[in-house]
Amino acid sequence: MDMELIQQIRGKARSLLEEGTVEGVIGYERAGDGVTSRPLFAYDSSAAERLIFDDTCTHNLVKYLLGKRGKKMAVMVKPCDSRAINLLLNERQIDRDKVFIIGVGCPGVVETEWNHKSETLQARCRSCLLTKPLVYDVLLGRELARKAEEETYSDILEAEAESVVSRREFWREQFSRCIRCYACRQVCPGCYCPVCFAEQLEPLWVGIRIAPEENTLWQTIRTFHLAGRCIGCNECERVCPVDIPLSLLNRKLEKDVKELFAFQAGLDPEEPPPFATFRKEEMPELGE
Amino acid sequence: MSAGYQPKVIGFLCNWCSYAGADMAGTSRMCYPQNIRIIRVPCSGRVDPLFVLKCFQRGADGVLVSGCHPGDCHYTEGNYHTRRRFALLREFLDYLGIEKERLRVEWVSASEGQRFAELVADFTTELARLGPRS
Amino acid sequence: MNLFISKDDLIRWLELLLRERIIIAPIRVQGQTMFQPISKVEEIMFDFDNTALSSKGWFLPPTETLFSVRRDDGQIKLMPATVERDAIIFGIRPCDARGIALMDGPFLQVPSDTLYQERRNRTTIIGLACRQAQPECFCTSMGSAPDDPSHVDILLTEVKDGYIVQVVTEKGKALLPKGWAKYKRKMPTPPQLKTVPTKGIVSAIREFFNDPYWERLADRCLHCNICAYVCPTCYCFDVRDYPDKGKVERVRSWESCQSPGFSLTAGGYDPRTTKGERLRQRFYHKLLYFPERFQEVACVGCGRCGKACPVNIDIREVISDLHQLAEAKSGS
Repeated sequence: MDMELIQQIRGKARSLLEEGTVEGVIGYERAGDGVTSRPLFAYDSSAAERLIFDDTCTHNLVKYLLGKRGKKMAVMVKPCDSRAINLLLNERQIDRDKVFIIGVGCPGVVETEWNHKSETLQARCRSCLLTKPLVYDVLLGRELARKAEEETYSDILEAEAESVVSRREFWREQFSRCIRCYACRQVCPGCYCPVCFAEQLEPLWVGIRIAPEENTLWQTIRTFHLAGRCIGCNECERVCPVDIPLSLLNRKLEKDVKELFAFQAGLDPEEPPPFATFRKEEMPELGE
Repeated sequence: MSAGYQPKVIGFLCNWCSYAGADMAGTSRMCYPQNIRIIRVPCSGRVDPLFVLKCFQRGADGVLVSGCHPGDCHYTEGNYHTRRRFALLREFLDYLGIEKERLRVEWVSASEGQRFAELVADFTTELARLGPRS
Repeated sequence: MNLFISKDDLIRWLELLLRERIIIAPIRVQGQTMFQPISKVEEIMFDFDNTALSSKGWFLPPTETLFSVRRDDGQIKLMPATVERDAIIFGIRPCDARGIALMDGPFLQVPSDTLYQERRNRTTIIGLACRQAQPECFCTSMGSAPDDPSHVDILLTEVKDGYIVQVVTEKGKALLPKGWAKYKRKMPTPPQLKTVPTKGIVSAIREFFNDPYWERLADRCLHCNICAYVCPTCYCFDVRDYPDKGKVERVRSWESCQSPGFSLTAGGYDPRTTKGERLRQRFYHKLLYFPERFQEVACVGCGRCGKACPVNIDIREVISDLHQLAEAKSGS
């Protein structure tokens, strides 16, 4: 643990709270297992003393801003998470003036599960090229010179090279394990519809059955709603209790959106997202 | 492919061009396969990917989304959005195991009755070749 | 009376049983251990910590059809679902077995849930005592133990070269072939577990219904359904009718008090709208409402919820927080 960085974070949080700049600071604290970390909402300076930051801080805290709309909050943001801020600014979901962004330099986060921390960097960190958050009010910690390699989508390309039948079998098996706990949705900073299509009753799009057909519809539309919006924090895959490889879905769409529309979500708070814009002269092959 | 296999096709046709095109095919007494069930929508831009997925979930073998030619949209730009959306959805469905050939996006104007009839015939043949969805 | 069976004989016995019955056992699925019907005895995991999901899914499946209604020649026919075959759950841990006993409370009280009752009647439970405790385990604080035979029909305990067989019920006895050797040695000592101060929790929690504690705890809660779905005692469900080609099916599926539509009533009123109210419901149900009706705390100490929670909301921590709140209150 970088104690110097942690002291800076605590100091900043303390002064923000004491000066009344914000109502609360959303950061990380050590989890009950003593090994991993968990989100912390600090409303006073004594709680701010529990703030930490290390390579177990995987949660994308930007999600929590959606539940605190209208309140002035500070949030700790890793370089990857800052893309979620841009996404929500782009979609006019948060008010920049109400959010104080504590950007933190991040050496990458490791694979963790309850009571266990591995030494392996998460796959998304191995291909993360961001050295600092894209948006912040204060930047703590070092801006990092990274040794990351650009995303090659090798696993997606492999899957694309398979036959359509084997892909169908693969996903059928994966989706049949889904228990529809909706953790993937609940954790996602891009999922904030007041009524999710999965819970809409009239018309009833997805039934309550926890069964392959309904699960497939749920997962397909959930991911597609994130096309051109997923910022790659991979929280959905991390929280999935039955280990469905959701990044294979999100990254497929990310790759296609890059190829078709030259767009990546969360890089620019003003650039129109791919489904809100078009070019007249594009994709001549479709429909003619 | 089983001998008597008749693919089920759902067609989402926009009110202003493609539905009128289908109407033209009918009033001109053109023959085309009966496999298609047509749903009229105000604009091809109204077609939510969810509609398409729901069709496949409930047993459709193919889905046609059809609107005005680019530039001719009654609402100026609805079909440009359709184009982007379904270009991506086709790739995604294929990735999940539903052949992209099962989802067609076509532009049919009100005067293209002949084109509509040919299109449905061609799509039905293609779907018959692909066989039932497993 | 305790018997002994070698591992080879155990496998042969299970193979015999598999001919006539469905066996649900822990098997490896995509890197996780899950209870599922097996097709071959070789699939069974004998050495595992605990399964990712509890075994409640056999008695209360994630989704099941309760009955269907069909119109036939102008007649309306109601066809209730039935349980086709006898089953065995093999390898259940004592904590999960206790979870089933707790679910019996709401499901078997009069009028009983017929499908649940039938599954329960036709299923024999073969437990597997824990020889090792996991860091998430706290069953001894919740009225059970790693070697607790109370809620199984047969309990197996692994020893060198084989298993000690404790025959607990007549149902269990009926499964056994004759001629197994008696086990005369001492039973092995069960593993020791850390304790959670559960004493007095039912009366302690009552005092804190309106405490800001719940909103604070709920700040980090995502309101997913993981805790409810991995829990061996969470039994809430939703029921809906599915019309389909001249037939209507009534379907029951798991549901959780954390999900947005759970307490929404006709007319649009929702008695639990805030995050804190929803999260509080989970703990109040387990630690107050259930014990008030069925005399037992609805937690078996398997530790799955704390382990699976993406933001580390842990019932053990909640229990000790509530004790601290109670102490602070009495001290002031």
